[in-house]
Amino acid sequence: MAFDLATLDAPFTALKAFNWGSDANAFKPIDAAVVAAHGDAALRAELEKRFGQLLADDSSRATKEYVCRKLAMIGTSASVSALATLLPSEDHSHMSRFALERIGAPEAAEALRTALGKVEGTLKIGMISSLAARGDKASVPAIGGMLGGDAKIAAAAAEALGTLRTPEAAAALAGAKADGDVAAAITDARLACAESFLAKGDRAAAKAIYESINAAVGAEPKTHRERAVRVAAKRGLLATAE
Amino acid sequence: MSLRRALAVVCLGILSGLTAPRPLAADPAPTASREVFDTVVDLIRSGDADMRPVAMEKVRKGLKGEEFTRELAEKVLPGLKKPEDQTALLAALADRADRAALPGIMALAKGQADASVRTAAIRGVAALGGADDVPLLMSLLSGDNASGEAARGALVAIRGTDVSPRLVTALADKDRPAPERVALVGILAERRESATLPALVAAAIDPDATIRAAAMKALGTLGGPAEVPGMVAGLLAAQAGAERNDAERALVLVCTQNRDKEEAAAAFLTRFQAADPSAQESLLPTLARVGGPAVMKIVNGLIASPDLAQRKLGLTALSRWPDATVKDQLLDLIGKATDEEERRLLLGGLIRIAPLPDNTLDPAQKLALVEQTMKLCTRDEERGRLLERASAIRTVDALRYVLPYVDQPSLAESACLSVVELAHHQKLRDGNKDEFMKALDKVLTTTKNEEVIDRANRYKVGKTWERKKAK
Repeated sequence: MAFDLATLDAPFTALKAFNWGSDANAFKPIDAAVVAAHGDAALRAELEKRFGQLLADDSSRATKEYVCRKLAMIGTSASVSALATLLPSEDHSHMSRFALERIGAPEAAEALRTALGKVEGTLKIGMISSLAARGDKASVPAIGGMLGGDAKIAAAAAEALGTLRTPEAAAALAGAKADGDVAAAITDARLACAESFLAKGDRAAAKAIYESINAAVGAEPKTHRERAVRVAAKRGLLATAE
Repeated sequence: MSLRRALAVVCLGILSGLTAPRPLAADPAPTASREVFDTVVDLIRSGDADMRPVAMEKVRKGLKGEEFTRELAEKVLPGLKKPEDQTALLAALADRADRAALPGIMALAKGQADASVRTAAIRGVAALGGADDVPLLMSLLSGDNASGEAARGALVAIRGTDVSPRLVTALADKDRPAPERVALVGILAERRESATLPALVAAAIDPDATIRAAAMKALGTLGGPAEVPGMVAGLLAAQAGAERNDAERALVLVCTQNRDKEEAAAAFLTRFQAADPSAQESLLPTLARVGGPAVMKIVNGLIASPDLAQRKLGLTALSRWPDATVKDQLLDLIGKATDEEERRLLLGGLIRIAPLPDNTLDPAQKLALVEQTMKLCTRDEERGRLLERASAIRTVDALRYVLPYVDQPSLAESACLSVVELAHHQKLRDGNKDEFMKALDKVLTTTKNEEVIDRANRYKVGKTWERKKAK
């Protein structure tokens, strides 16, 4: 039975006027419609259209957050543009990424990659994190290029590359020069890459990473972290050898 | 070459492959594994505590092949300088579950190594060994404390269908030292194999008292109806005093707590009825602790007997009854008693059963019975015992009953003990906090008993107290 769209008019009006502290029960029918949209392409398209309008309007932050949560569930490429406009916003970037991370369409990744080159600071870290969470291998060159910049961004980039674990990611990590927390994040990411290579049967690639880390940490590590890294590298080397 | 001839050649090739001699030992280790092995050995020998788990992980799960196992156990293990490296390698070899390590491990178990290393080696023998290794482990039972205890644990843990029969044979060997045989009884009990119960029953009538006591204790845990006749014989063989008390407790456990307890109790009664009069006299107090209508009939018959000795036997049995169903009978008999010894015997029984937690009376009725019993007490020793027993009634009314006795110097310690015993129960204490706080304050100003002081102080601040386990 087709969903009666007229029943959504009042709830959408209520949602448009919504703010934190207001009664959220008024738009419960929208929750039901979102559930019903699974397997109903027409309803999904209608909902995406209405949600997109709310994102474009001067609606409250609370309304936009609600919309992003729903688009994370039913969003398609049709919603990417509306969500992407929010990515540079300090207030809305996080929830916009929340939705884009979960929308499977390649346009969503493309939007995040585009924003990565435009935003700075914590917003950039957010883009890096979302691209890694999507497993977006196409973003490796861009993320790899951030290993030498701002320390917080570089550490986030290293962590993302350790999540993506491609040979290109490993190469970018191997070529990076850093110290302090960034160096530690790079080492952790390289160990993650090596473990992934080993699991896939590429012993040579894994061994090269473990040997490099083992040599870097030296035979007499001084800190607890260095000792732990040495143990991890030695353990990995043994695993690659047998 | 014809097709038929070609097929024949292929088949011959396959057959020759199947029948070709194979090396007895494991295949020579591949070069790569040899390199890993050498690295692992270097890590173990380095004594580096960080790297030890890495190396031991490989010993446990990697480096496949008996050759490596033997080399680790026979060449690497004895040469390690630090005991902690040796114990770690022993544990890893045990987990590796390759019996090829056994000779090397046994050499350390028998040798003069550090005590921690020897015990680890003995545990290794338990993990990897079988029935053939039982003699070695038995020879270590009489070693120093650590080795003896480890050997005991190993004999409990060691697997193999022939292990228990060998232990049983050793237990039956009367030329073995008694302490070793006592240990074997304990080991068989912990192995919990029903097939070994006859050996424990036989040990229950051993000429050596220590072996008898150990066997009865084991049977108290494991025994069932089939073991009751043997346990009755064990009870009759026990010397008066601690051995007999413990044997009695074991038999009562089998008849009241263990599997098929009703059948066990019936078996005990049958055995009692078939026994000669002197044995019956000896067994009746124990049988009375089991209780039941048939036993009550016997007890009542004896109490009604004109023979004073028979009557005393019946009264003794009644005073040991397991629940408060006999309270009216006891009160009646106490009221009629003209003999002071008889009166004390019956009063002792009443003091014991009045607050029993497993009877059919509710807490108020139990407390009423305690009050009634108190009026019958003529000596402070009896009153004190009753006050201590009253703590089994876990109500605030019991506290109110006991508390005034804290002011009576001759009964103060018993009353204080009873108060802290009641306070031990958190729900009762917390539900009546004000009363308990005042009562505990009173205890603290009265008692000289350090344990009671400690307990009272703990309960006052909401802490618990751990009862010492009886050995």
